[in-house]
Amino acid sequence: MGLVMTPVERSAAGGRSQTTTTERALLREGLLEVLAARRAGADLRAFERRLRDADLLALGALADAIRREEAGPAVHVHLDETPEGALASRGLELLRDVALARVLGPPGASVCVDFGASGLEIAQVALGFGASALCGPIANRRGLPIADDARKKVKGKGMVALRALQQEEILTLVRRAGREPVL
Amino acid sequence: MSLAELAAKVRAGERLAFDDGVALFCEPDLLALGALANEVREKRHGDRTYFNKNMRVEVTNVCVASCLFCSFAKLEEGAPGSHTMKLEEAWAELEARMDDPPREIHIVNGLHPGLPFSYYEELLRGFKRIKPDVHMKCFTAVEIHFFARHYGMTYEDVLEKLRAAGLDSLPGGGAEIFHPDVRQRISGDKATADEYLEVHRVAHRMGMRTNATMLYGHIETFEHRVDHLMRLRALQDETHGLQAFIPLAFHPDGNGMKNLPAPTAVDDLRTIAVSRLVLDNVDHIKAYWVSSGPDVAQIALRFGADDLDGTIVHETIYHAAGARVPQGLRYDDLVRLIREAGRVPIERDTFYNVVREHPRVALPESAVKVRERKAGKHLEIVS
Repeated sequence: MGLVMTPVERSAAGGRSQTTTTERALLREGLLEVLAARRAGADLRAFERRLRDADLLALGALADAIRREEAGPAVHVHLDETPEGALASRGLELLRDVALARVLGPPGASVCVDFGASGLEIAQVALGFGASALCGPIANRRGLPIADDARKKVKGKGMVALRALQQEEILTLVRRAGREPVL
Repeated sequence: MSLAELAAKVRAGERLAFDDGVALFCEPDLLALGALANEVREKRHGDRTYFNKNMRVEVTNVCVASCLFCSFAKLEEGAPGSHTMKLEEAWAELEARMDDPPREIHIVNGLHPGLPFSYYEELLRGFKRIKPDVHMKCFTAVEIHFFARHYGMTYEDVLEKLRAAGLDSLPGGGAEIFHPDVRQRISGDKATADEYLEVHRVAHRMGMRTNATMLYGHIETFEHRVDHLMRLRALQDETHGLQAFIPLAFHPDGNGMKNLPAPTAVDDLRTIAVSRLVLDNVDHIKAYWVSSGPDVAQIALRFGADDLDGTIVHETIYHAAGARVPQGLRYDDLVRLIREAGRVPIERDTFYNVVREHPRVALPESAVKVRERKAGKHLEIVS
């Protein structure tokens, strides 16, 4: 389904996933044309300058639209491993890197963010900018590794493995970004 | 109402209603919400993004209130971890920085039952003796309320005496969540919402400017957040004395709500954006970098925020609750964060007068190249 939808299409899609606000932003930055070219399988290198100069949120909206169409809602979570090519910059730079990787990369590519390097907070935000995978270590809040046998008492659950708790926290971050984690 | 309809309302200059605010919080398209807040932010401020050279001092963490979210306070003097500075120790914090002094000192404390009122007056006088032009932004409305009750004065008396000693404006802390269903549970033994707002009202009537905050991401609902914003908007309609609104993210470490998860970055950005859209009569929305971390605060500058607070130097309240960010940022770090966000850094004073406008500089050409790897579908980015 196209990004620019008729009211009927929008209603069929659940109503709210695309908005005219997004469309306006894409239109203003000349990115609807990029989306059309992407769908047509055209070479996007001619648009590279426009993409690099685009407003960050408009670029993110474009990348997210492409991710939705090509990669779906799943977020593959690679714990304690770092797939080659995982993106590891920080802050705004990471968001732009992720979006460009999604828009300029091959259809359906895995765009993976290394949350060990970028931080979990930004990695979560990057899921809205075209990312489809996360990777990184299971670590405590200070970034230190958690031992396999470390346990914590949790009310109503008894002693629970700390690694399991941390893993659940990461999966929850994905869900709270509106996505579906896949281990 | 859909986001498109809400956007039309915003663009037409119509005021958002309670239900509109809740709908914005529920909006699944975060980037579209951010883009709309950014539109409003740019209409107001363009690319201008503010920060100041300030310093935090917390002179005592002894506090009679027992707020569930607080990791800073100790109930009694002498309890493990409690501290109360001698006046000389507090002043020494400024004296030590007189080679590059702050323009503003931001003081927030526990509600200490054993200090004389003269301690606070002398505290202010001492800082002004050291640097007469330093701006003293001190004591939350909750502290002012406590002073009034504890020392038997009216709000006007307290503020008048403190102003005579050097107080210039009030910070926004202590607002938490106004709705009684939440406030009673998390901080039921300090100023109520009405008392908090009344202190600000009185301060505004006396010609003082203040800020306001909201502590989000714990047990409150989106409806409670919108209720909070609505109460502040109503006060601002009446007094026009609020300078900035600062959403503060709950941090769970070491406090009575330690089993709750902290709000996520997505929630931080959403709250900034909705605040910008609902508070149509407050000039500035601050992304307090201590609360969200510098990276998320930087991104918030594209989601409706126009201010990063300041250098801070030595923050302890959030750090007691597990904040993993630095206790202060250097002046140049703030300039860099703002420039990297594509904005123009403006050093301001507390009243948002321009101290120094940093020129816009072109960011280095991004040399990012994306190429498909032969194996698998992962991408490699080479700078």
